[in-house]
Amino acid sequence: MRDFGGRDSVGRDLPLLVACLTVALLCYALPRTWSSALVTGIRRTALSPVVALRARAERDRTSRFTLEAIEAARDSLALRLQGDSVLVHENAELRALIGLGTRLRSRWVPAEVLHQVTPTDARMLLMNAGRNVGVAVHDPVVTPEGLLGVIWEAGPRASTVMSWRHPDFRVSAYTDSGSVLGIVGPLVVGSRGQAILELRGVALRDTVPTGATVFTTGLGGVYPRGIPIGRVIDAEIDPLGYERLYRIAPFANPGAISHAIVLLAPSDSGWVKPDSAGAPPRAVDP
Amino acid sequence: MGQAGLGGRTAQGRGPVSSVWTGEGPTRRRKSDRLRISIVVVILLLLEFYLRPSLIQGRGMPDFLLLALWILCLRLPPGWAAVVGLVVGATIDILSPARFGANMIAHVLLGFTAAWGRAVFFADHVIVNAGLFFVGTWLRNIMVLALSGAALGTLTAEALVWGPVQGLTTALVGTVIVILFRDWLAIRVER
Repeated sequence: MRDFGGRDSVGRDLPLLVACLTVALLCYALPRTWSSALVTGIRRTALSPVVALRARAERDRTSRFTLEAIEAARDSLALRLQGDSVLVHENAELRALIGLGTRLRSRWVPAEVLHQVTPTDARMLLMNAGRNVGVAVHDPVVTPEGLLGVIWEAGPRASTVMSWRHPDFRVSAYTDSGSVLGIVGPLVVGSRGQAILELRGVALRDTVPTGATVFTTGLGGVYPRGIPIGRVIDAEIDPLGYERLYRIAPFANPGAISHAIVLLAPSDSGWVKPDSAGAPPRAVDP
Repeated sequence: MGQAGLGGRTAQGRGPVSSVWTGEGPTRRRKSDRLRISIVVVILLLLEFYLRPSLIQGRGMPDFLLLALWILCLRLPPGWAAVVGLVVGATIDILSPARFGANMIAHVLLGFTAAWGRAVFFADHVIVNAGLFFVGTWLRNIMVLALSGAALGTLTAEALVWGPVQGLTTALVGTVIVILFRDWLAIRVER
């Protein structure tokens, strides 16, 4: 092999190739905890300008193209909140009547999703919210449509989300009728490799109608109860005949979202006890 | 620009000496060329990390980081192309860590292969470059997915649909960049 200078470069190139491959294979074989620490360290130092630039680009795109949609969503929410205020008041009165304490309010932080043009982008997402705003590992991530995933690793100013498309993703779920429980995991179907979800572990005696909505149960302590996951689109019998399997069309699309909400773990500082003066309880939202 | 299109110059009274690489003699790239290629790479990095995400997002978008890798690999010895591939792969792995190390392996292998192929087989031609951009992007996507443990259906979809789409867009944008900066990206040597 000769380079542009006409020199035989095999003696120099092969050692470099072997060295680079060795480094790459070592990184590939690293345990997750070690690779997470390494990734977080590099992202916090050498690549922090890149992450900041991507976040700025995302903000610019939002202000340029989706401002009207955000305004419309805000107006819709304001209208809905006006209608819900009566329900909230009734709920507080009923709770007081039967001696229940104030309902814990979940704390949350908004985050921008920094997409990459790699084929694995939708499985693991990078977000510009980290430990500096209270994000921690295993915090659930949602969109206005439904469940998106869970925080995989949290750095100081950015974090990685394992979306529902990741092969390791699992969540305990129930249907809107409340009678059927199961475990939801990702599934790839069709020749085009369409990614959907599948509700597994449903007893043969239970049936779920097509179109039923599936929610998180709150079991396991990661995802709070009641987050919508998707809608049942198809049913099939387990080939071994032990359970029913239901295909679910997810509500949240990891490849298309630009913003998400991280639900922070409840803490003592997240809510305030009602005081003796009868002032309404309030949540302390960041 | 093809090598044949490059001008010659006179050295030490021995008549016109072509600046085209002939496979002989101690030669090195001119500093001005390195500066120009660096400027093109910086432009591609800005396109990748700011301009494209601030305008559009979605699958099948051109990968400017990969384009920068190809442009550098075609102008570097294979060993150094592997090093550049390692850096580019590490950057992608850190920003989109589906499986840490998968992008590094893929980019090292592809960077080395592209540089080695350039030294042995490829002509410096726009069409050849476009073909390299297309095939390289397609192969990169398949390798990364395979190393990340993707399911067979996902791999098939990537191989048949999304890989070719991204390869095509990357090749189109790469061709435009090669044509726009053809004087800057032309391979010249200093004797």
